[in-house]
Amino acid sequence: MASFVVLWEGYKLVWNSFGWIEPVRPDNVVMPHTWDMILELFKPVRRGGQLLIVDLSARSFWTLREALVGFIIGGLIGFGLGVLFVRSGLAERAFMPYVVGSQTVPILAIAPMVVVWGGQLAFPQWVSVSVIAAYLTFFPVAINTLRGLRSPDPNAIELMRSYAAKPKEVLWKLQFPAALPYIFTALKISATASVVGALIGELPAGFQSGLGRALLTFSQQFAVRSTKLYSTVIICAIVGILFVGFITWLEHRVMKETRRVESS
Amino acid sequence: MNDLVVKADQVAKVFGQGEGQVVALENISLQIERGEFISLIGPSGCGKSTLLRLVGDLLSPTSGSLEVNGKTPKQARLDRDYGIVFQKATLLDWRTVTKNVELPLEIMNTDDREATISDMLELVQLDEFADHYPWQLSGGMQQRVAIARALAFKPALLLMDEPFGALDEMTRELMQQEVLRIWDETETTIVFVTHSIPEAVFLSTRVVVMSSRPGRISDVIRTVLPHPRDEDTRDSQQYYERITEVREALRRDEGSS
Repeated sequence: MASFVVLWEGYKLVWNSFGWIEPVRPDNVVMPHTWDMILELFKPVRRGGQLLIVDLSARSFWTLREALVGFIIGGLIGFGLGVLFVRSGLAERAFMPYVVGSQTVPILAIAPMVVVWGGQLAFPQWVSVSVIAAYLTFFPVAINTLRGLRSPDPNAIELMRSYAAKPKEVLWKLQFPAALPYIFTALKISATASVVGALIGELPAGFQSGLGRALLTFSQQFAVRSTKLYSTVIICAIVGILFVGFITWLEHRVMKETRRVESS
Repeated sequence: MNDLVVKADQVAKVFGQGEGQVVALENISLQIERGEFISLIGPSGCGKSTLLRLVGDLLSPTSGSLEVNGKTPKQARLDRDYGIVFQKATLLDWRTVTKNVELPLEIMNTDDREATISDMLELVQLDEFADHYPWQLSGGMQQRVAIARALAFKPALLLMDEPFGALDEMTRELMQQEVLRIWDETETTIVFVTHSIPEAVFLSTRVVVMSSRPGRISDVIRTVLPHPRDEDTRDSQQYYERITEVREALRRDEGSS
């Protein structure tokens, strides 16, 4: 954080003193001072309005809720796909191309469709946003769950077979615990992806109360007051960091007693 | 009653099909009586581990008949008639020693697990390490946990696939002593795969010598060493004679193939 501030301000200082304008013009619109970005948070959004930080906090709540719901839906679907694929090679061969294909289609193309369908099903707008977040979330979870469920040593599988264990027992007593580190890695990736999904999803959904809308509005005001956009970007980053931080905390809670967390 | 734990008649195992077909085992006939300690020894690729897996129904024979405890290997597996120990301890690293030994009992849903576990840990002399995690134990201790786990449900047959292969020589000799003591105390039948001639002779009642390409049994040598066996056994004349006999049997095969 501190190093970022030093780099940013250092760039402005050096480039200004030599009059350089490449690659980025170091003026106060394109590159406002870092402290101005922070100060902006404590100014009213508009004349007589509430403080920007109050407004953005309320928006963060909405966006985070969309992201969280999308994250849970996507996580469950991803886990379910991982389990299905590890149980059935046929299912893996049949569906994996679609799963991979789904991620190569840009979210910007998918999002409006989701919004239209959600509208026809009379979902609240934020639910459509969550579905878009889920769309970005499920893939890393599915891939890593599959990898993790396949991670046990072949001898461990033979051992379970020698106990005449049922597939369900092999899954929950061997494969799932072995997959946990993989799944948590996926969840951290997905936590950030779900926030991005929520921010992007708000735009076609026409959802007015979230951070995505604020990003759009303030980017239109960039030439007038760029610090608003930068402040909002900082808040978005904080939301993502908090989310990933929560998953990391959860990981430690789950694995602390049973694994060498301290060494990893 | 049938006192044969393993009865193999003309068993063969072929991997793959067509051009890439490999005959792993051919014409395997072997009878193992209750309470025996049998070692399978032979060069790499002689199919000794494959034979062990056929007995444990981890693989199916291509032809021939194989009975375990008077049943098909599959039925024997479903009846939990055998415990298995691999070269790697294969402990679940998120479970304590106690929980690892409990794993088969959990799956088999047996009663009075705590008493069984403490008996088993006493048997392998790890009672003080009940709450340790696998990574806190040495290789030899991990392997003893694996043995405790394999014996926890009192199987009639213990299958061991090079269980001490990854241990240093000192630990290995201690573990051989351990496994003989456990064999005495539990009266389990043991089938033991090994690369080591002295190990096979020291442990077994009979040594099954195998040769490769295709894997088959070339000789069965009765060790006729007195029990109990201890460090003095390792210095005895008989012990050296048996080692020489097994070694010559192995060499003979090399020469003929």
